Amino acid sequence: MLVAVSGALARKEPAIPTTAARPKQVALVRVNVTGQGYDYFRPWQKKAPFSKRALGAVLPKGRVLVTADLVTNQNYVELERAESGEKTAANVRVIDYEANLALLEPAEKSFLDGITPLEITSDTVVGDRLAAWQLEPTGALLATEGLVTTVQMMPYPIDVGQFLTYRVSIPMQYRENSYTVPLVKNNKLAGLLLRYDSRSQLLDAIPAPVITHFLREADSQNYRGFPSAGFSFFPTRDPALRQFAGEKGKRGVYITNVEAGTPATRAGLKVGDIVTAVGNHDIDENGNYTDPLYGKIEFTNLLTAHAYAGDVVPFHLERDGKPMQLNLTLEHRDTKNYVSPPYNLDEPPRYYVLGGMIFQELSRQYLKEWGPNWQREAPQRLVYMDHFQSELFPDRNRRVVILSQVLPANSTIGYDDLAYLTVKTVNGKEIKSLDDLAEAVKQPVAGFIKIETEEDPKQIELDASQVAAEAPALQENYGISSLQRLQ
Amino acid sequence: MKRIFLSGYAALFFASLAYAQEGTPAPPPMEPQGPQRTGPWKSSPPAQEVVPVPVPIAPPKPNGPVQKSLVRITATSVDPDYKAPWNAGSLQRGVGAGFVINGNRIMTNAHVVANNRYITVERDGDPNKYPAQVQFIANDCDLALVTVPAKDFFKNMVPLKFGGIPALESTVSAYGYPIGGERMSVTTGIVSRVDFQLYTHSSVDQHLAIQISAQINPGNSGGPVMQDGKVVGVAFQGYSGDVAQGVAYMIPTPVMNRFLKDISNGQYDEYPDLAITYAKLQNPAQRKYLGLVDDDRGVLVSSVVAAGPSDGILKSGDVLLSIDGHPIASDSNVELDGERAQFEEVVERKFKGDSVKLDILRDKQPMTVTIKLFKPWPYSIQGHTYDVRPRYVLYGGLLFQPLSLDMLEAYRTSDLRLRHFFEYFILEQIYLVHPDVIVLSNILPDPINSYLTPYKGAIVDEVNGKKIRTLDELSQAFAQAPERLVIRMIGDGPPLVLDRNKVETARERIKTRYNVLKEQNLEERPASRIAAAGEKN
Repeated sequence: MLVAVSGALARKEPAIPTTAARPKQVALVRVNVTGQGYDYFRPWQKKAPFSKRALGAVLPKGRVLVTADLVTNQNYVELERAESGEKTAANVRVIDYEANLALLEPAEKSFLDGITPLEITSDTVVGDRLAAWQLEPTGALLATEGLVTTVQMMPYPIDVGQFLTYRVSIPMQYRENSYTVPLVKNNKLAGLLLRYDSRSQLLDAIPAPVITHFLREADSQNYRGFPSAGFSFFPTRDPALRQFAGEKGKRGVYITNVEAGTPATRAGLKVGDIVTAVGNHDIDENGNYTDPLYGKIEFTNLLTAHAYAGDVVPFHLERDGKPMQLNLTLEHRDTKNYVSPPYNLDEPPRYYVLGGMIFQELSRQYLKEWGPNWQREAPQRLVYMDHFQSELFPDRNRRVVILSQVLPANSTIGYDDLAYLTVKTVNGKEIKSLDDLAEAVKQPVAGFIKIETEEDPKQIELDASQVAAEAPALQENYGISSLQRLQ
Repeated sequence: MKRIFLSGYAALFFASLAYAQEGTPAPPPMEPQGPQRTGPWKSSPPAQEVVPVPVPIAPPKPNGPVQKSLVRITATSVDPDYKAPWNAGSLQRGVGAGFVINGNRIMTNAHVVANNRYITVERDGDPNKYPAQVQFIANDCDLALVTVPAKDFFKNMVPLKFGGIPALESTVSAYGYPIGGERMSVTTGIVSRVDFQLYTHSSVDQHLAIQISAQINPGNSGGPVMQDGKVVGVAFQGYSGDVAQGVAYMIPTPVMNRFLKDISNGQYDEYPDLAITYAKLQNPAQRKYLGLVDDDRGVLVSSVVAAGPSDGILKSGDVLLSIDGHPIASDSNVELDGERAQFEEVVERKFKGDSVKLDILRDKQPMTVTIKLFKPWPYSIQGHTYDVRPRYVLYGGLLFQPLSLDMLEAYRTSDLRLRHFFEYFILEQIYLVHPDVIVLSNILPDPINSYLTPYKGAIVDEVNGKKIRTLDELSQAFAQAPERLVIRMIGDGPPLVLDRNKVETARERIKTRYNVLKEQNLEERPASRIAAAGEKN
C-alpha cells in the first residue's frame, strides 16, 4: 500500500514554521468530553460513563473541528483554552460519523476571541511535509513533522465505502490529549488524525478535501452527508473479462452489483456494464482516474469528496459493446436504508422484551458489542447476514429481528439457552421489524404467543396471560426500566 | 448420532465444546487424532508436570496377565495433502496399543491405523515385529480390527473378554504404550461420567463415551481399560493437560459390541441416523400448546433432514413420545437397562436396514411411525475422512475442490461464506442444490491466470449458464468446453472467463512446472454422486 518516496522528491518548505513565524496563540483548544454508550446486551440501559480529553482545531466563524468518534455518544462537551485553562460548555452543531468529523460551537460566543482561526489548505500531495500539532501540559505547542507517503482511498472507522486519506510517516509522541490531532502545513489545516500505528509510525489522516466537503455542507442548513451511488465494481485488468463484457479498449470497471432503491438502480445501471468514465474523467482498467493533484486514484473519490448529495453525475459506459450515458443523481444513504445498519450512534437501541425474551434488530452496532474482533467473535450467522445483506435481502425494505437472549423467568423456563435466533413469524404474522413484532404479540392465538424462528427449534410458544402477569416482576428482578423501546 | 453444527438448542452446548477445542490455545482432546501423535515419535514431549497418580478409592482388583493380550502397534501412514491433492501426502509414523480378542483379532482405535501404508505389531517378550493388516475400520466410532498373518502369532496370546458399563466411582486400569518409556504402562483411575461425547477422530459423530480419571496419553490409544479382568473400554481421547486435567475418555463396550456385530456380515456399514434435530420440551406453555399432558414426556422435532430416513415420515413440530416402547422424557432421555441415556442411544445400537418405531403426537393426534434406518450422506463432508484420496479438478492452474472439513482445515480459511456453506450444508439443505460445494481453492500461477487471484475462495455456481452440482459435472463442463468458458460464482462477484485454447496450450506447462501428476481425481468419496443420482440409500 505504501508508495516509496523517491529521492527525486525534493524536500519542500518545512512544515514547522520558525519561532518568529509562529502565531502568538496556537489555534487549538482542549476538548473535554464525557459520554456514555448504549449497552446492546442490556438495551434498556447505558454503559458506564467515559471521559476523553482531546484537541480541537479552531476554525473561522467561532467553530471548533474535532473527529466524530471523540464526541459520539457524548453527554457533555467542554472547551478549554490551552494557556489560561478557561472553560466553557460546547454544543455539537454537526456530526458526520462516516467521514468521522464534527463541528463544535462554544456556548459563550466570545470564548474563542483572540485566537486566529486556522485556514484550510487542500493542496497537499505525496512528498509534502505536515506537522502534527499537539499541546504540552503547559499549553505550549508540540509539533512533530512527518512526510506524506501516500494519498489514496481507504476505509474509515465506520466502514461505509472509502474516503480519500493521507498516509503520513511520522514519529508521534504520546500526550494525554492525542485524540484529535490537527495536521498543519504552513500554518494551515491540512488534515486531522484518523488513526496512528505506533509500531510502523504511520498515521492516516482525514484530508482537507474531505474536511472542506464537510464544512461546506455544514454551512447549509440541511446537512445530508457524503453521497453514495449504490453499486459495486471490479477492475477489468483481466483481458478475458473485458472481452467478455464487450469492452474493446483497455479501460473501465465491471459493475458486479446494483442495489435496489439506490441512485444507481434509478439511473438504470446494470450488472455487467463497463463504466469507462465518470464526468470528464476516464477510468482505467484498475478503476483509477487521473487526478490533477494526486495522479492515479480510485474513481470513487469523484463520488465522495468531489460530489454532493443531489449532484447529477454523468456515467459513460459500455453495455454489450455499445456506448451509453447514464446520469446518476447522487444521494446520501441513511442508516435506515440498510437491512443491518452499519452504525447507530447517539441514539438508543430498539428492543422489545417479552416474558424474559429480548428481541432486537440486527445491526453492525450490535455485532460490534463483541469487541474489536467482532467479525470473528460475534455469532457467525449474524456476521454472515450483516456482511452479505445486499445479497441475502435484495429488496432491502426490512430489518432482521433476532431473539438475542433469554432472561430466565417462569414464562421462559426451558428456553434459557436460546440466543441469536432470527424471527420469522409471530402469531402467524411475518416479522420484518420490531414494530411488526410489537403489533403481532398483541394478537395471541387461543391464549398463546407463537414465535417461529428461522433456525432450530423453529417454534417457541408463550402463555400470553402469564407473560403479561409476570412482566412487573421481571422488570423489578432484572432492573429493566422499560420493556420496550421502539422509537 | 451426528453433531449438528451450531443450531438452535444445541448451540450453547456445542459452542462450549468448540471453545474448549478451538477457542483456547490448547490442542483439542488429547490429540490422539493422528497416529503421528500417539507415541514417542512426537519430537518434543508435552511440557506437563509430573504429578502423583491419583489415589484410587478402592484398591483395584488384579486384572491378570494383561501382557499376554496387549500388543504394541506401529503404523506408518500417509495423510493426504489437500493443498496439493495430486501428491501422495505426508508420511507419518505413530505408536498405539491394541488387544487380542476372540477369533485371532486385535482391536484398536481407528485413528491408530487410519490412512496406514504399513503396520507392524509387537508383543511382550517377543523380539519380532510382525507385519499386520487392517481387517475392518470404523472411523465413525474410532475402532478397528487388525490381524496378523504370521502363523503362531496368536498362540500363547490370551483373548480378552468384554465387561459391561462400569459403575460410577469404580476403579479401572488403562494399559498401553504412552510417552515415558518403551514398555507397557498401567495407570488407574475411577469412572467419572457416562455421557454422549463427540468422537474427535471423525469430528462429526457422537456416541456414548465414558470419562475416566486414569491418566491416558498419546500411545494409550487403542489400549484396553480393564476392570475385574474384563475389558470395559478402549482408551481413545482426552484433553491435554493445559485444557483440563484428568479428563480422559474410553469407548464403552456397547459401542465395541455394536462394531463387532456390524462387521459380522463381512463389511462395516456405519451408524445409521434418524437425521433430525429436536428440542427439549420443558416449557409448560409450549407443552400446553402442543396438547401434551403434564407428564414430563416428549421432545419436539425441529428439523428433518431431507436426505435422511425420517424425511416424509416425521416433520417439524411433531412430538416424539416414545422410541421402540421406551418413553422419552422431556429432557430427551430414555431408560435403557436401568441407565438413563439420550433417546438416540436406541438408534445407536441399531444397524443399517433396521427399523425404529416412534410414538408421536402430530397436531395433538397420537400416531405411530416406523422408520427404516440408513446413514444420510450429507454428514460426510462435515467430518474427517480417511483412506480416501481427495477429489479435485485442476483446470488452467485453477484448483477446484469440494468443500469438506479436511479441505477447510488444510486451508485454515476464515472466509465467512465458506464457513456458512460448511456449517449450514445440512440445516439449510444446501446439499440439495450443491451436493458438492465446489470451491476454487487454489491457483497455480501461470500467465493464463495472472488476473484471477481475486476469485480464490469463491464457490462455483454455473458454467456457461449450466448449474454445476457436482465435481463430475464440472469436469465434464471443462472437457466439453466451448471456446469461451464463463464461470459464475455464488455471490456478487464478476464472472471468471477462460479461453479454452489458452488453457489447452498451458496444460503441459502447468503440469510440468508444478509437478502435477494427475489433473483430476473424481473417483473417491462418491457420496455426492449418490445424491446426484437421486438415491437416498
